[in-house]
Amino acid sequence: MLRILTFSCLIAFTGFLFSGCYPGGADYTNDYDVVYTNHSPTYDFASKGTYAMPDKIVVDVEIDRGDTTYIYMKDIYATPILQAIADNMTALGWTRVDISATPDVLLTPAGISSTTYFYSYWYDWWYGGWYGGWGWYYPPYVTISSFTTGTLVMTIEDPNTDSPINASETSWVAAISGVLTGSYDINRILTGVDHAFDQSPYLKTN
Amino acid sequence: MKKILYSVCTILLLTATMATAQQSRTSLTYAVGFGTGDLGDFISQPSWRGFNVEFLKMTSTKVGVGGSFGWNVFYQENDYDTYTKGTASLSGKQYRYSNNLPILANIDYYMNPGQKINTYVGLGTGMMYTRRNTDMNLYTIEQEAWHFALQPQIGIEIDNQYSSAFTIAAKYFYGFASGDFDKAQSYITVNVGWIFKS
Repeated sequence: MLRILTFSCLIAFTGFLFSGCYPGGADYTNDYDVVYTNHSPTYDFASKGTYAMPDKIVVDVEIDRGDTTYIYMKDIYATPILQAIADNMTALGWTRVDISATPDVLLTPAGISSTTYFYSYWYDWWYGGWYGGWGWYYPPYVTISSFTTGTLVMTIEDPNTDSPINASETSWVAAISGVLTGSYDINRILTGVDHAFDQSPYLKTN
Repeated sequence: MKKILYSVCTILLLTATMATAQQSRTSLTYAVGFGTGDLGDFISQPSWRGFNVEFLKMTSTKVGVGGSFGWNVFYQENDYDTYTKGTASLSGKQYRYSNNLPILANIDYYMNPGQKINTYVGLGTGMMYTRRNTDMNLYTIEQEAWHFALQPQIGIEIDNQYSSAFTIAAKYFYGFASGDFDKAQSYITVNVGWIFKS
């Protein structure tokens, strides 16, 4: 009797511990928001002062038989994002100018979305003898789930840098990941923009 | 996680089978863990999720030899913060996990055999599997290691008349640096549970 009791307790105890008490992670979608920034350690931001920025945000590119078409974020979302970027740049001492005014740097925002699919696949099998000679039977069961995340990317390049391939090296990059989800919560995006500049104090100009 | 579960279940079944031998003790304890050293720096929160199972074959009234295994998971949710390395900075909420699974050979020494309250000290040695995850956004940094491990312990058992005893013990698990860890992984557990004697 004691053996059975011991064995039962061991099984029950372990099952209890493993079944429902493994710690969880994020509870809400904004718990997934992260802001990444990086910069060139040799680029002297302090000696610059003007920047140009487009008034639209590209979210996709369609190429049809060599013709390129840009897809832009709707103005209702793009306008406050561009305004937040401009406000942060102003606070750091930068002056926004038109692209024709030969700015020191270009600031280009873009939106990237990606959809991740999860596939679960398993099968059961039954030996044919159980079902009257059906033979080996592998009915597949496939479930698919997905989620879409988006990233707002901002880059700063110096168009005046001489390059043999006429391409400017990126001096600063910021990626605000997780914010461009289907709900388009503008406050999450704007908070991310602020964080990107907060964690980049080296952008300050003289 | 499945590998851990399967390993634990296998050892559990073996232990339960072995526990039917004469003059043996099987202890089943709930373990609250407190990280120390590098583990304590990584996760300062205590682990409320853990257990230990120990089987001992008594070679005399004072000495028991056997084996044990256990599991403690440490978890901590860090508030939104900025982490900088070189020129790169990353801000966000961070979720930290450390799974620790020691599998040890043990020897325990009982100081007061036959008395209602029996104090014991013990030492375990063997392997400890550690898996540490640092989650941000949809990504995780995973570090794994099988450590050579030592585990001293001290405890008391309080007998009752049903061939079992209540026990409370303190165990110190120390896994030497190995695998993805350049520092030792260690923690202390406070264990409470039952000892079944047969």
